[in-house]
Amino acid sequence: MAKAYDHLFKLLLIGDSGVGKTCLIIRFAEDNFNNTYISTIGIDFKIRTVDIEGKKIKLQVWDTAGQERFKTITTAYYRGAMGIILVYDITDEKSFENIQNWMKSIKENASAGVERLLLGNKCDMEAKRKVQKEQADKAFSSLARDILLKSGGRRSGNGNKPPSTDLKTCDKKNTNKCSLG
Amino acid sequence: MVGPEDAGACSGRNPKLLPVPAPDPVGQDRKVIRATGGFGGGVGAVEPPEEADEEEEADEEEETPPRQLLQRYLAAAGEQLEPGLCYCPLPAGQAGAPPPSAAPRSDACLLGSGSKHRGAEVADGRAPRHEGMTNGDSGFLPGRDCRDLEEARGLARAGGRESRRRRPYGRLRLEGPGDEDADGAGSPSDWASPLEDPLRSCCLVAADAQEPEGAGSDSGDSPASSCSSSEDSEQRGVGAGGPEEGAPPATSAERTNGGAEPRLGFSDIHFNSRNTFQVSRGQSARDHLPPAGPPVPLPAAEQGPAGASARARRSGGFADFFTRNLFPKRTKELKSVVHSAPGWKLFGKVPPRENLQKTSKIIQQEYEARTGRTCKPPPQSSRRKNFEFEPLSTTALILEDRPSNLPAKSVEEALRHRQEYDEMVAEAKKREIKEAHKRKRIMKERFKQEENIASAMVIWINEILPNWEVMRSTRRVRELWWQGLPPSVRGKVWSLAVGNELNITPELYEIFLSRAKERWKSFSETSSENDTEGVSVADREASLELIKLDISRTFPSLYIFQKGGPYHDVLHSILGAYTCYRPDVGYVQGMSFIAAVLILNLEEADAFIAFANLLNKPCQLAFFRVDHSMMLKYFATFEVFFEENLSKLFLHFKSYSLTPDIYLIDWIFTLYSKSLPLDLACRVWDVFCRDGEEFLFRTGLGILRLYEDILLQMDFIHIAQFLTKLPEDITSEKLFSCIAAIQMQNSTKKWTQVFASVMKDIKEGDKNSSPALKS
Repeated sequence: MAKAYDHLFKLLLIGDSGVGKTCLIIRFAEDNFNNTYISTIGIDFKIRTVDIEGKKIKLQVWDTAGQERFKTITTAYYRGAMGIILVYDITDEKSFENIQNWMKSIKENASAGVERLLLGNKCDMEAKRKVQKEQADKAFSSLARDILLKSGGRRSGNGNKPPSTDLKTCDKKNTNKCSLG
Repeated sequence: MVGPEDAGACSGRNPKLLPVPAPDPVGQDRKVIRATGGFGGGVGAVEPPEEADEEEEADEEEETPPRQLLQRYLAAAGEQLEPGLCYCPLPAGQAGAPPPSAAPRSDACLLGSGSKHRGAEVADGRAPRHEGMTNGDSGFLPGRDCRDLEEARGLARAGGRESRRRRPYGRLRLEGPGDEDADGAGSPSDWASPLEDPLRSCCLVAADAQEPEGAGSDSGDSPASSCSSSEDSEQRGVGAGGPEEGAPPATSAERTNGGAEPRLGFSDIHFNSRNTFQVSRGQSARDHLPPAGPPVPLPAAEQGPAGASARARRSGGFADFFTRNLFPKRTKELKSVVHSAPGWKLFGKVPPRENLQKTSKIIQQEYEARTGRTCKPPPQSSRRKNFEFEPLSTTALILEDRPSNLPAKSVEEALRHRQEYDEMVAEAKKREIKEAHKRKRIMKERFKQEENIASAMVIWINEILPNWEVMRSTRRVRELWWQGLPPSVRGKVWSLAVGNELNITPELYEIFLSRAKERWKSFSETSSENDTEGVSVADREASLELIKLDISRTFPSLYIFQKGGPYHDVLHSILGAYTCYRPDVGYVQGMSFIAAVLILNLEEADAFIAFANLLNKPCQLAFFRVDHSMMLKYFATFEVFFEENLSKLFLHFKSYSLTPDIYLIDWIFTLYSKSLPLDLACRVWDVFCRDGEEFLFRTGLGILRLYEDILLQMDFIHIAQFLTKLPEDITSEKLFSCIAAIQMQNSTKKWTQVFASVMKDIKEGDKNSSPALKS
């Protein structure tokens, strides 16, 4: 197989169950949104190739199951990940509180210099927002390299505002860092 | 060829907007007649062409039904239509309350029809090579028809009030004889015919949908589209002429389509819809869209340039909608729609081009008259009978003479064109026949299968189940079992095979269920103030929350477990009761799928009993407790058989250090119910109940074997992606033949023995089997 890319990055998606990790990644990789998602059991994979500064970057995204119980399984997949995307649901405080735990798992299981990215999902449900952006900024400002982005997992109304654009930018930063480091 | 009369007559009527040469009434009439002759016997709805003249009157008579339809539709879909765009504003008095049912549907319809329409157009412009042109056309046509009708209606009704709006589109149509026919034809009884319903609604919708589209988007579009549509219809009309006289429309349609692909049938329907449409108009849009076939391309060549370009322009996502939204839902209606295929008169309505107006027969006649000899008309016409479906559109271009304002074709050219056309028709026929055979074969197989199932069911019920313990392990039963359990006994056999070691009774289930309900209640009452009891409570709550979340994510496409669905509560109950029954296991993702499959085959309490006992099997217990070391052993054992059976693929996987946990976790946790199509998953469950856990892994190897060739070409990530999302078209025959080819015998050891030895090995400190799982 010819190498169709310049860099290959493994990204990992973690976060509580139901925060929309799979939605996010499907949106990112396939650019479509579907309301009927199935819970991820174990792990799922998506690939997307992006162009960054003229280089073809192939992103392998490992989408993990969110249930606490599966953590023992999924932590095995942290190894080798170059970027880890932590996802929480802005309408669900608990998923945000749990980010701390996920951070801990990263510390324990991932490679040392791994890039992290915090994403608040479901921004289309602004009315139900429980986690303020400032909160997130504040809580994780110490993680200097974290970038906070909010992405709406679903399209709001008729306007298709894919989070993929947001995601792309974060991935860009992410991958850039990865490639630097 | 076009009689002078044609040109003259048409011009008066044709709106300027249409880039088409003026249609001539005469031509229309003729055409109509022919069409009627061809189809006439069949459709009561179709009126004799003569009625065309009375169009206006007919319109008036029939106004009400269509109007109401439209009104309802508009009311329902109001938001979607731009106010300005709605043609046919209805008098207030007439706007009856839309039936409640109409509303939700109408949206769908709107979407669908619009898309259909577009899709058709696109297809037309795009894919000349497809024989399916009819389909595309058909999709396109109905919209047209409706529109026409509606317009006509509106005209009659509103007395020109709305005429301004209407005009841009389909003025033509109104005048077309076909319309008149339809109008006249639309006797109440006809409308009532159930067959027409889908069609009708479709048409209506289409008409509506069309509006916004045409009006809203590019003004240039609408004229073009209408033109093209008219062309299509014309072509159709030509083709339509072919069908044998007297043959009931339904039959002819069926014959040609052979009950084949819905699409084909559908397309026929569509064109027919011109006529039918009116007929059906009277009724509400109850049935909304008939499933639209995927837009099948109409040979581009046949389209007038304007039409083609218009279509091309419009291409886009609509085709998608069309197939996505409409098709899947309404497959059943295809048949009925087909029946409704009336006559072709309606085409007369839309006489855009002179040349188009002529049916092939007419052309032939003319041709003969001109050349002075008979150009094998009889065979041709008879042949064509069978082809109404496709070659119609072809006819237009190839057979038709040029418009009167252009120099006529030379004899050679005309001959050549005819010959080419004949070839095309012959080819189309060949294809059709081939497909018909294929369909027949498939049907035969299906019948056979059904028969087998029926006879197997008798055996299961009468012989096996009464003597379960004695017979379950006999060779004959095992073989029968492998074939798949008849759905009617499936639940029963599963229950028996899984057993009830835990001695759970329905009463016990009720107890746990009520406990679960209490807990939910208290949970919802005290949701915010329960931090006192610490982690375990929080964990349990998370479990409850998670159940709720997962229920809606269980077989979402079936729409039966989601909130409001018939089995939502049952699934909730079983999972909740289980977490009370086995707090040590709790709820683990994946369980909802297992419970759902059981619910689909068993009564609630029995499903719970089977569920609890199934999860109590060693393999399931290991997985649902996420017992790492045990899972590792299962994977290691799996790899032994993997290497044995598929050594090449095994090495390939190894070279990417792709460990089985990546795909097996999902497969084993959900017992394949998430990864395989449901019916196939049930068959896997059948044999899993017979053979136990070993079969789960054997199935996994069967899948790998089935896709071995593909997988050998892939790299790590693609393999992982492929296996975590298997193709949806996987068939049970193929999979089971692959599974059957997997030997679960390692040299002389069977699964259990291998598993035992793996256990021993691992105990002895060999800890590096599945690296991914080590943590």
